[in-house]
Amino acid sequence: MLEWLADAGNAKSLGLVIFFVTFCLIVLWVYGSKKRGARLEEHKHIPFLDDADDVKEDKHG
Amino acid sequence: MFKFKHEALETNTGLLLVATMMAISVGGLVEIAPLFLIEDTMEKVEGVRPYTPLEQMGRDIYIREGCYTCHSQMVRPFRDEQLRYGHYSLAAESKYDHPFQWGSKRTGPDLARLGGKYSNEWHVQHLIAPRSVVPESVMPNYPWLMENRLNYADIGQRMRALRAVGVPYSINQEEYERNVKDFGPEMAAQFHIPNARESLVAQVRAGNYDGDPSYVSEMDALVAYLQVLGTMVDFSQIKPEELVKFR
Amino acid sequence: MATGQSQVAVQYDYDIIKKFAVMSLVWAVVGMAVGVYIASQLAWPVLNFDIPYITFGRFRPVHTSAVIFGFGGSALFATSYYVVQRTCQTRLWAPGLATFTFWGWQAVIVLAALSYMMGFSQGREYAEMEWPIDLLILFVWVAYLAVFLGTLMNRKQPHIYVANWFYLAFILATALLHVFNNLAMPVGLFSMKSYSLFSGAQDAMTQWWYGHNAVGFFLTAAFLGMMYYFVPKQAGRPIYSYRLSIVHFWALSFMYMWVGTHHLHWTAIPDWTSTLGATFSIMLLLPSWGGMINGIMTLSGAWDKLRTDPIMRFMIVALSFYGMSTFEGPLMSLKDVNALSHYTDWTVGHVHSGALGWVAMISFGALYHMIPRLWNTQLYSERLVNVHFWLATIGVLLYITAMWISGISQGLMWRAFDEYGNLQYSFVESVAAMHPFYVMRAIGGAFFLSGMLVMAYNCYMTIRQGVRSARLAPAQTRAAVA
Repeated sequence: MLEWLADAGNAKSLGLVIFFVTFCLIVLWVYGSKKRGARLEEHKHIPFLDDADDVKEDKHG
Repeated sequence: MFKFKHEALETNTGLLLVATMMAISVGGLVEIAPLFLIEDTMEKVEGVRPYTPLEQMGRDIYIREGCYTCHSQMVRPFRDEQLRYGHYSLAAESKYDHPFQWGSKRTGPDLARLGGKYSNEWHVQHLIAPRSVVPESVMPNYPWLMENRLNYADIGQRMRALRAVGVPYSINQEEYERNVKDFGPEMAAQFHIPNARESLVAQVRAGNYDGDPSYVSEMDALVAYLQVLGTMVDFSQIKPEELVKFR
Repeated sequence: MATGQSQVAVQYDYDIIKKFAVMSLVWAVVGMAVGVYIASQLAWPVLNFDIPYITFGRFRPVHTSAVIFGFGGSALFATSYYVVQRTCQTRLWAPGLATFTFWGWQAVIVLAALSYMMGFSQGREYAEMEWPIDLLILFVWVAYLAVFLGTLMNRKQPHIYVANWFYLAFILATALLHVFNNLAMPVGLFSMKSYSLFSGAQDAMTQWWYGHNAVGFFLTAAFLGMMYYFVPKQAGRPIYSYRLSIVHFWALSFMYMWVGTHHLHWTAIPDWTSTLGATFSIMLLLPSWGGMINGIMTLSGAWDKLRTDPIMRFMIVALSFYGMSTFEGPLMSLKDVNALSHYTDWTVGHVHSGALGWVAMISFGALYHMIPRLWNTQLYSERLVNVHFWLATIGVLLYITAMWISGISQGLMWRAFDEYGNLQYSFVESVAAMHPFYVMRAIGGAFFLSGMLVMAYNCYMTIRQGVRSARLAPAQTRAAVA
């Protein structure tokens, strides 16, 4: 395993494969489902929940 | 789709920590680790040797003054650079450089092959007052190099630290003899830590770099270092084909 | 209003944030002043005055450390402590440790600056601090990580807001980079001098892996964390797309670590590492621009704020500079472009379009937003913010234009051949040709610095105002708390 990793040629392809697969999985996961998407988007309001004053404002955003 | 919950990540500090750590570690591992493992990172060329005590002290002054902020020590394999500076730099040429000083900016010219191009007198004059020899230069004056006595009291300690990180300076007879075999008797004597101070003074006497033999100045050390830059490898003895595979 | 704010003062730990915010302004003034000075030294070398302590070579790391670690670092400590408390709706964990990070970090900057001037340097760009200072940094950093993680774990909010991910990645990556890049053998226990563990090509790889990721995580990821909190807050609207921010985060943290070798194109390292670095640099354009779009689009539907709110204008212009320099970066990482641009002023210009345009401007926006809230008052003058904005923008533009012209001219002059195939110019001819651009750069820097002085004055007056009104109404505040 270590020898394979240490081979210059392999490092390039290894890097690309790891990167590409992970990236696709993340994108699939994030945009794959409408329901999950809606849930994720809710988190964007967190910065508006931080003061007693701000709590009121949160409703509109 | 696979069973994986990002909520687990975003709601668990520990997991987020681990996942982030993994994401940021891969790049460094894949790129840097092989350089330590594979052999063809570096050419095997004749002539590259550690610095003598005086040259090493000069190198330390080079670093102290921040010369690397304006001068590179890395000639790239382009026609203009080879005409201006000389043969492109090899990895092996900086294998005893702790730290490397390749630099990233040429406000002044590259210095990788400076050695032997100018006389000692020129260097001394140029370092004291650069514009007296190169009117357009923007380099600072370094008059104190000539005034300051070189403090080489800790040269032995410095060499011992370098030995600890892999520079083949010798502390005993066995190592000394290995150096005689690898670098010749003259150099092996220079690399012998117990004699470091004597070797340093002897090189100053023989070289008289700053033109004033009465004391050992910082100028002596720096000029000795500048004069050895890029001179260790004799490129007339190397066929270009041998180097190509390392590019 | 007074009631709400005083509750906030109890709810969150502001003391440490105030300290860091003030020091951030102080270091900005100091670091930028040194910057203008060394820029002037390149235009007029007589300014070195034959004084060893302030020659360009020793003074340049004072500039870089003061602005990156002093100004940028203090701004990051301040905003991260602010953001992590407010998005987790909890107080800082271990405030004593947080206070240690403040004094420790300030000591690091002061010691670093003094030691460079005295001639102690590791000779590694952006990591010039010698080993005792490196150890202190390590202690501070571990404390910082502990405070940040402890606060995250105490949160009242189940979800960890994305700004905190960026801050966390910055803290982790900086720890990793700092440790591996500074492995060195001290000459003695009582000697400041040390020699790096690695040499030559390996050392170069380690240093630029550090060097570029200092840009990637210290100067980018962390300031993106700042962006993800302060842009929505100032705009009064949530971030454009939370999902995009997730993709942005993972792609950025993964890809940045690969690109360092583009600093070593055509040098004596194996060619494949350099190709790999260039490939990832190009791909990095995607998450970078994703983040920029996410920030700018937050304002969609409220574009009039660009006209009415100078703080918002700082933030949006910062994002535009971020977009520009993350386009320029991949371009410069192409080997053929790099053959021309490397070793020239173009690189310096690129760094400053990122550092002044993006890092400094987003920090200005965040500080202008945060300082009145910390001292429970209003900003002293919005007009002065506007003045600062224009001084800063003109300054950056002058700076990077000068460096583009001088950088490209240098590159072209060095490689020019005459009709006989000889080099057309001697090196020193290129030095002489740069003089007008070095003057122009110094003027650009002076503009930016004067804007910074305006900001310092404005913030000073704001804080004074806040302190005075707090002194006038202590009874009310106490009543409100009770």
